[in-house]
Amino acid sequence: MDQQAATTKQKLLGLLSNYTILIMFLVFCLIMVFASEYFATWRNIRNILRQTSINGLLSIGMTFVILTGGIDLSVGSVLAFGGVVAASLVSKASGGEVYSPLVAIMAAMGAGIMMGAVTGLLVAKWRVAPFVASLGMLSAARGLTYIYTDGMPIPKIEKSFLFIGKGSVLGLPMPVFIFALIVLISYIVLKKTRYGRYVYAVGGNEQSARISGINTRLIIFSVYVISGLLSAFGGAILTARTTAGLPQAGQSYELDAIAAVVIGGTSLKGGQGSLIGTVIGALIIGVVNNGLDILGVSSYYQQVVKGAIIVIAVLIDSLKKKS
Amino acid sequence: MRSKLCVVALLLVGVFCLATGAQAKDKLKIGAAVYGLKGEFMRLWVTALERHPAVVNGDVELTVFDGKYDASVQQRQFETMAAQGYDGIIFIPIDMNAGSACVDTAYYEDIPVVGSNTRVNSDNLLSYIGSDDVLGGYLEAKNVLDNMGGKGKVVIIEGPIGQSAQIQRREGNYKALKEYPEVEVLAIKTANWSRAEAMSLMENWLTAYPNKIKGVIGQNDEMALGAIEAIKDQGYKPQDYAIAGVDGITDAINAVKDDQLNITILQDAVGQAQGALDILLRKLQGEDYKPQAEFWEAVKWGDSIQPSYNVPWQPIDKQNADATLKKREALTTR
Amino acid sequence: MKVGETLIKVEGIRKSFPGVLALDKVDFELKSGTVHALMGENGAGKSTLVKVMMGIYARDSGKMWLKGQEVDFKTPKEALDAGMSFIPQELCPVPDMTVAENIWLGRESSYFNIFVNYAKINSLTEEVLARIGVELDPKRLMKTLSTAEVQLVEIAKAISLDNDVLIMDEPTSAIGEKEVEKLFEIVELLKAQGKGIIYVSHRMEEIFTITDEITVFRDGKMVGTVTTKDITRGELITLMIGTTLDQEYVKENVPTQEVLLEVEDLTIKGKCENISLKVHTGEILGLFGLVGAGRSEFFSALFGVEKKQRGSVRIKGKEVRIKSPSDAIRNGMALVTEDRKESGLVLTSSVQENTSIASLREDVVGGLISRSKELERVNSMINKFRVKTPSERQLVGNLSGGNQQKVVLGRWVLTRPRILLLDEPTRGIDVGAKREIYKFMSDFAAAGNAVIMISSEIPEVLGMSDRIVILRDHKVIAEKPRAEIDQEMLMHLASFSS
Repeated sequence: MDQQAATTKQKLLGLLSNYTILIMFLVFCLIMVFASEYFATWRNIRNILRQTSINGLLSIGMTFVILTGGIDLSVGSVLAFGGVVAASLVSKASGGEVYSPLVAIMAAMGAGIMMGAVTGLLVAKWRVAPFVASLGMLSAARGLTYIYTDGMPIPKIEKSFLFIGKGSVLGLPMPVFIFALIVLISYIVLKKTRYGRYVYAVGGNEQSARISGINTRLIIFSVYVISGLLSAFGGAILTARTTAGLPQAGQSYELDAIAAVVIGGTSLKGGQGSLIGTVIGALIIGVVNNGLDILGVSSYYQQVVKGAIIVIAVLIDSLKKKS
Repeated sequence: MRSKLCVVALLLVGVFCLATGAQAKDKLKIGAAVYGLKGEFMRLWVTALERHPAVVNGDVELTVFDGKYDASVQQRQFETMAAQGYDGIIFIPIDMNAGSACVDTAYYEDIPVVGSNTRVNSDNLLSYIGSDDVLGGYLEAKNVLDNMGGKGKVVIIEGPIGQSAQIQRREGNYKALKEYPEVEVLAIKTANWSRAEAMSLMENWLTAYPNKIKGVIGQNDEMALGAIEAIKDQGYKPQDYAIAGVDGITDAINAVKDDQLNITILQDAVGQAQGALDILLRKLQGEDYKPQAEFWEAVKWGDSIQPSYNVPWQPIDKQNADATLKKREALTTR
Repeated sequence: MKVGETLIKVEGIRKSFPGVLALDKVDFELKSGTVHALMGENGAGKSTLVKVMMGIYARDSGKMWLKGQEVDFKTPKEALDAGMSFIPQELCPVPDMTVAENIWLGRESSYFNIFVNYAKINSLTEEVLARIGVELDPKRLMKTLSTAEVQLVEIAKAISLDNDVLIMDEPTSAIGEKEVEKLFEIVELLKAQGKGIIYVSHRMEEIFTITDEITVFRDGKMVGTVTTKDITRGELITLMIGTTLDQEYVKENVPTQEVLLEVEDLTIKGKCENISLKVHTGEILGLFGLVGAGRSEFFSALFGVEKKQRGSVRIKGKEVRIKSPSDAIRNGMALVTEDRKESGLVLTSSVQENTSIASLREDVVGGLISRSKELERVNSMINKFRVKTPSERQLVGNLSGGNQQKVVLGRWVLTRPRILLLDEPTRGIDVGAKREIYKFMSDFAAAGNAVIMISSEIPEVLGMSDRIVILRDHKVIAEKPRAEIDQEMLMHLASFSS
């Protein structure tokens, strides 16, 4: 009897802790629904999703990296570089040639891939600590962005390019649509492909993965490339959203991206975590930002609340593991 | 891209040569220590300084030090300049309270320092030339409130909390608001000078206060432009709002031309930069030095060096937008 | 302290974990001047009891007395202060600190308030090391020590506390024969000083060599306490697993004359040098040597884990190039490493993921992993090796050592290897699981494959091998058919230069 009751309780706790983040998210939403009549409007939900989508893209790339036990601090800078590269190709300001939006997006992604590849090589091949390698890239990519733009915003973006930031598909704003698509693809890659399994294995125990015949260096290299690509893509979308290539964009975005991943329950040690957790983590950050704006709460409190959420999420996670 | 990279490479090589090559003693060695080279305003400021006649004709050998938004970096740069025997320094500190140690470093080596753009709390500054941020904040707010017809509801998008520009521009904003008691401030919040952040913030405000907002006071142009993008995205017309920004960046002037932004208050980078050098040269070459910047046509040169000079703000509206852009193009094309 | 006084007494200890009753109604008594063994299969409750006594786990019920005083330690620190030392199975030295710093870690300040007096702790360390007859420079960094030396430092650390009770959990699992002898000398010394030692081990020989009493556990329950000299090996095994075992080793394979693998002149300087050997179809080749003789290093070089400087490998007479583990796998090799946690398993992943990882290619349909295919293969291994796990989704880190080893073996069987490299395949594994692994080795070889096995346990080497290659100082010293060698000769060859 006694024991049965205990196991039922444990099962319940287990269930609860498995969905900690989701429950946290729903609780936030519930509080907001009561606090503001505007929160649950379709328009506001669209806003939250759109505001979340760019951080969401960075967080997905960050999830890949953190799953291998690494970290990518350069996402914000690579975002800025991708943004200005795309902008420069579709801007009417300089009097140069205006390329098609597709070319601009591809170029931005190409730039992101290159930057990710440099970080990836440093980490995978030359065994530079990910924190240091990506810190270098954070600085270098930002510098290149200023060199490329001379420190000035790139205005007068061709209308057709703006679609990826301002258009909508099936009632969803384009950035949200793209974000959803990337989530879907990444989910399949992480859950259903060999590559995804290998990412987890490398993060969980690199030596074991290597002995099992996995090319661990290639896997480590690749996650930084993915992160670079998604960051630069995010930059292109941000350019379309703000109608200008902004060299200052993306300052400290890496912090929100890491926060989303961590809130989502992915272990910074690697090997454990889920993409869905990251998506919910990003949404929590989006809802908190939006909610506090709507309620007119001062910026000071916003910082405190965000910090508290990160710590609480991780705390619950570690308590869960301890019990 | 390649040509731009080449230019940068050449610049780097040039700076290197200047720094290491043998220097003729009759040239004056002037350092410009600025808080950071990011952002359009600082680019314009530096370009203007490099175009000062005394630099162009070679009387002055100018070196620009990038403070990288870090007070300790600036401190180090001052020590470097003191050690290398610079003749004078033009100084834009990252913060009004953080720069006094730098000034003291130079002062004890008898190197005169002229402050520009941002004031330093120090008695050892030779002189200060800049625009009054309180006044700038007042001017833009007044314009917004006027355009609202003196009543209705307004939102304010602030700079990073605690920076002197934010503090003073807010003071100016509220000074104007006092004159319009019928205007109510719906919300005031920071977007950290960032266009993307201001865009999200404005979107959320438009949701929270549907059809209530009549005016937007952006403490800089970037954030005002972000608000405009949000307004357009949510299906409203910027023309229906009274919006103003400060700084007069090119994008903002274009937005003024397009009727999206009512006004931007131009901070005169040319005056601040070239004026500062003239003051410094007056100290180094004697009282009979004749100023070379155009700027002094509008501001009194005076019989002796004043502790502070005020560079007037230039409100840019539809009338003078084109002229301002032309002037700027002349400055930035080499 | 007199011999035979009661040091520790526990009564009716009960401890449960989510879903498992780990200890039930356990009584136990440790007397001064004795060595008391805790035996049982993995998961039987030995380590749990030790951890409950040390205050690492909180007990659900029961009582404990230390030297007549009733105690209930909330933290290991309390137990330590009360006079109980513990050498855990998993060693956790601070790698960048010196030997001396590690030994006095956390206790430096009791001698000096702020500054560590290095001269003093170094000389104290020398004293302690001398007391147990170990020669080690106190100033050496822990990370430069071998596993065996780290173990000795841990022992020195425990002894330096001069506590009356010393608990050793599998102290010999990571050290070679020579160090084991050293350890036994130390244990005898402590015993003579009247201290009480709790000794947790799987190794029969050790138990019979040094212990006075044995308490046997099975499935969380105490089976009984016996006096060592009154029990035979067979009786003890029967107590532990509950049934009689006719034989410890299972060996039915018969070697052929066909050479399956031929290694020539394999060299990584300072690790393994000029190693040449042959393995035949149907054969189990034993690789024996002391710790540090280059046994594991040879496997690393052969399997492509580390880059070899020289040497060639032929399989069935055909030369193969092995530059990475994936090359080795492609050529039909499989490597079970010495350390399951460091290099064997991905502890943060499930049984399923760990089992399929090396052969995942086979489950891919149209670019995606087919769940049903993977499950089918994984479950076939869980059944084949009788892995005890609630489900294939269980984290592999939660399994017992024996079951973890079975998962590793299952992983490799799925790659359909022909040559199996086993490095200490039964280390830290209970008797029942050991037997299953021996049976697997024998069946595997008999099916027309070959096994190379590294082991530190001489009976295991002699019991399972058809031929034995002996390594010393990174080189092959001798090669003997099983029939031509015995225990003493093996030790002799491995330890001394002739």
